[in-house]
Amino acid sequence: MLDEKLIALITEEVVRQLTANGRVVLPDRSPGQESSADPQNVVGSDRLLEDPLDPEALERMKKRTTARIGVGKAGARLKTQTMLSLRADHARAQDSVFADVDPAFIEKLGLLSIESQAGDRNTHITRPDLGRKICPKGVEALRQHCEMSPDVQIYASDGLSSAAIEANLEKILPVLTEGLQAKGLKVGTPFYMRFGRVAAEDQVAEVLGAKVVCVLIGERPGLATAESMSAYIVYNAYVGIPEAKRTVVSNIHKDGLTAVEAGAYITEVIQQILDRKASGVDLVK
Amino acid sequence: MNLSATLSGKTYTFRDVKDVLAKASEQKSGDVLAGIAAETALERVAAKYVLANLLVRDLRENPVVPYEDDEVTRINQDGLDEAMYERIKNMTMAELREHILDYGMSEANLKALGKALTAETVAGVCKLMTNLDLIYGANKVRVEATCNTTIGKRGCLSTRLQPNHSTDNVEGITASLFEGLSYGCGDALLGLNPVNDTVSSLAEVQKRFDEVKNRFEIPTQICVLGHITTQIEAVKRGAPCDMIFQSIAGSQKGNTAFGFSAATVEEAMALLKEKGTAKGPDVMYFETGQGSELSSDAHYGADQVTMEARCYAFARQYHPFMVNTVVGFIGPEYLYDSKQVIRAGLEDHFMGKLSGIPMGCDCCYTNHMMADQNDIENLALLLGSAGVNYILGVPASDDIMLNYQTNAYHDVNAVREVLGLRPIAEFERWLEKMGIMENGHLTARAGDPTIFTARSNF
Amino acid sequence: MAQILSVGIDIGTSTTQVVFSRIEMDNTAGYFTAPRIAITDKEILYKSKVYFTPLKTQTLIDADAVRDIVAQEFRSAGYSPADTQTGAVIITGESARKENAASVLQALSDFAGEFVVSTAGPDLESIIAGKGSGAWQYSIDNDCTVVNLDIGGGTSNIVFFNAGDTQGKICLDVGGRLIRLDGGDSPRITYVSYAAAAAAKLAGVRAEAGQTISRSDLRRICDVFADCLAGAVGIAPKSPLQDQILTPGSDVYAPARPSRRICFSGGVADCIYSQSGEDDLRYGDIGPILGRAIAENRYFKDQKIIQGGETIRATVVGAGTYATNLSGSTIFYSEGIFPVKNVPALKLTKDEQWAVIGGDAQLLADKIRWFLQQSDSPRMLLALQGLPDPDFATLKKLAAAIVGALDASLAPGEPIIVVVERDIAKALGIALQQTGCQRKMASIDSVKIEAGDYVDIGRPLMDGLVVPVVVKTLLFG
Repeated sequence: MLDEKLIALITEEVVRQLTANGRVVLPDRSPGQESSADPQNVVGSDRLLEDPLDPEALERMKKRTTARIGVGKAGARLKTQTMLSLRADHARAQDSVFADVDPAFIEKLGLLSIESQAGDRNTHITRPDLGRKICPKGVEALRQHCEMSPDVQIYASDGLSSAAIEANLEKILPVLTEGLQAKGLKVGTPFYMRFGRVAAEDQVAEVLGAKVVCVLIGERPGLATAESMSAYIVYNAYVGIPEAKRTVVSNIHKDGLTAVEAGAYITEVIQQILDRKASGVDLVK
Repeated sequence: MNLSATLSGKTYTFRDVKDVLAKASEQKSGDVLAGIAAETALERVAAKYVLANLLVRDLRENPVVPYEDDEVTRINQDGLDEAMYERIKNMTMAELREHILDYGMSEANLKALGKALTAETVAGVCKLMTNLDLIYGANKVRVEATCNTTIGKRGCLSTRLQPNHSTDNVEGITASLFEGLSYGCGDALLGLNPVNDTVSSLAEVQKRFDEVKNRFEIPTQICVLGHITTQIEAVKRGAPCDMIFQSIAGSQKGNTAFGFSAATVEEAMALLKEKGTAKGPDVMYFETGQGSELSSDAHYGADQVTMEARCYAFARQYHPFMVNTVVGFIGPEYLYDSKQVIRAGLEDHFMGKLSGIPMGCDCCYTNHMMADQNDIENLALLLGSAGVNYILGVPASDDIMLNYQTNAYHDVNAVREVLGLRPIAEFERWLEKMGIMENGHLTARAGDPTIFTARSNF
Repeated sequence: MAQILSVGIDIGTSTTQVVFSRIEMDNTAGYFTAPRIAITDKEILYKSKVYFTPLKTQTLIDADAVRDIVAQEFRSAGYSPADTQTGAVIITGESARKENAASVLQALSDFAGEFVVSTAGPDLESIIAGKGSGAWQYSIDNDCTVVNLDIGGGTSNIVFFNAGDTQGKICLDVGGRLIRLDGGDSPRITYVSYAAAAAAKLAGVRAEAGQTISRSDLRRICDVFADCLAGAVGIAPKSPLQDQILTPGSDVYAPARPSRRICFSGGVADCIYSQSGEDDLRYGDIGPILGRAIAENRYFKDQKIIQGGETIRATVVGAGTYATNLSGSTIFYSEGIFPVKNVPALKLTKDEQWAVIGGDAQLLADKIRWFLQQSDSPRMLLALQGLPDPDFATLKKLAAAIVGALDASLAPGEPIIVVVERDIAKALGIALQQTGCQRKMASIDSVKIEAGDYVDIGRPLMDGLVVPVVVKTLLFG
């Protein structure tokens, strides 16, 4: 269960990264106004809070937080604009959890596709234990199609956001692969795992005999973004390895650490992990 | 003790009381994940039949975590009203349910009865209640508690104002705080979940809350919900503090995973008696939520409703000012969808009231659950009618730090108006003085956070 | 955590000062993501005396004497030039003229290996002074708007902060030494600037070099200046004088609403905050009278005046403490490429950037050739906005074009340095390396550079994660 807590911590970190010193750095989200809903879809009265006593103070307050403040009211209820933009943000988040990554997308990238033991979306959501295990057919496919004993094995997994994979995978894979190859490392055959949880990478390490495994996985979506991806990198993994042995690079999305820059950064992290033969807390020591 | 029941010609036999309790629970994904849930709908009902025929004393004598191994069990068993227990111990659980629902059961008698029930008994009777039973039963009881003001009076619905911020920026927190106050929120508490659990970070926010509370003479309570040991340290170093918070679990092992024990709570209470800024006497704040024991592998094979009831048994020992279940926060592995969340919210509230604690509810959901804002608005209204002490309020329902959704600042007013409820009386007078509320309705000026900046230097 | 020593030297119209400060930085990102190194603390370690700027003639600085002051202050502070990792030497106000700067640069050549003499330009000067005075921090601490007026000998640098954000700035030729006088009971004018002459005309007062002038007439001139400043900060009608005495190169900003708080710094500020009983002409200029005129001005009197902490030292403190920024924390550079000093920047517009990515190699080659010719510096850096969320193929095209053009134009041994605003430098760095170019190369991000800027990039800090960067306007290359 520990990785759920880790994910919660990471989610918090992501939210924290979305703001710096309390300043909004999200370009497409004007807090208390349209949020990340499409700004052209303005409905109802065009102003939210009307005639504040101190308009300048309200402007400043909105700069200090991404919370939806200064939204005004209709009776004791939200204005239509606020209500709909909340629903839009939530819909984006939910769709990214419950929808599959488009198989055509995986095909276009030429990736082998395997599954965890979860079998379907609902089981994946409710049975994290099954999402940590590869289904037998998947194990077989890995053995058949993937290069064995690579220095680095990279793969992608939907985790809790398919939108994160669709938004970032195509941008991160080339820089990651080429960057690692430029360092003279043997990079394994990349693939995609459906219904995967983070710890499935431990079994991947065992099956393929990889020194380092790096899974690119969708994070639990928030209302601020549904497209955030994380990389969990582990050295010499085995099933049951402590969670603390993973090195995490979270908050990969267009308004956080962009995919291409994250890829470049991760090549360096992986090099360091190989040099020091350690990942996670052992790397920080 | 009969552990079997036959339905449609099939006999269902259960291993022990713990097994009966687990299988009799309404379906929860957390119990499925733990591998203890009923496998069919009929097995669930069979377990309910068995449970209905068990005696109150069967449940007391079979705690789901052994007395010798567990502080929570000991606190619960040792703290019972034995005289009352003697009078009810041979009741069946079916009789206990009807006894609670009976017209002849007065509020005073129900409170007295609660003192004789162990957590397993409370959880057991809960499993025999429908949703409306839970509302009807809970509504008989109001549990009052007093810190600076008194919460839980009949006719009141309060709110905890939760002005969370993704980096603990004090000005950002203050902005959300002013927004919430301008909507009439905050009579239960001005309470922040901090990102940084450090003494200096906590103290900075506590100081700001205290300044706002004093400057505008707000009759309410303040708390910054760091870890209990961090809060203790902050108070020792002089941070203003009305109340100390801790998340609790239904077993000692769970509490150990949370990093505290009963002794820590006692230390916090003693410290506040000496150095706290509240009048008291009730100065503790606890949060719970079904499934937390399983997530730290501290559930001893028991179901999540029973473990939740044990939290309340622990809490009542320390006369908290407020307790709430953060009902939908834990995620779909424990509560799958809105049906399970709404059920859990009603169960927790009922069990809390029956246990004698001042119960509130954070009606909330995460984005990976099958639930949306409609569902938790339903829950807020159901709990309002059940007599819940308070619900939460955040800006437009979106908590930017915990990354989940709960009730909006607006919601409590709608629920109050629909159900004819009011804020705590002195808080309402303050809202009237500030021009935010009139005759129980928000004014035209309400919702303008700059009501407060226009009068201050913040 | 790491810390560096920064030096600030301000050679102003009337005073010259030196400060040393410590700049502390740390990783502010959580454990679960890429590092983000930020400046976490600044502390002033040493402040020099306030020297009168030594002059050879009325308008020409005695550069050798300036060098002696700086050398003396290094000794007094106990540092050698090699101890400082960053800093800024700025020539401000009326001193910021080419012949002055030339002689000062010459005189400070002993120190030139470590830092370079520059003018900040009037806009940057305003911001530097407003930060140094404490007004900026006040606006953050009190979450309000603050205007800072740094009133020196020759100019008044005005900046508007809204809770830490710079809203605008404007610089006027209003200062304490715009009229200079021989003392005595009937003071005689020895120098009058064009701005003072314009103010005198508006006041209906005759003021020419050589004549005597009464104290009341001087006050009338200063009252006109005070009204003009009040107009510029939005608390009075705009003065007809304002457009005439706008400092060349200044922004023209008019605040939409009056500022809530007003803060003064610069030499004249001391005369505003406290009026002494001493002779108003004790400095042989109008500084004290100007201070009194502002303090008693009908518009300023009604405002909430705050004191930020630094007055006459605001600019030097700002230069020493706030001129240095840090690059992004995911960057790329070849070993040993930094420090570089005084590198002129060629800034590509957004359209030019896209043209280059689109394969227009000639455009970039032409621009670079032209730039190197007219800058008469052998080195340069390329500044770009960068792309919001690019793919790697696009960055490879960009890298290939950059390397192709720069490699063909730069002299052997000169490095290829690219500075982007967007956080993509590390990925662009991998793309640069893939071109196989053998020159030293660097790709730095999260730094905003405008056309005509010059850049210092210091030695890498924090295990090589970041580099300190100073962006400035150089008077001459």
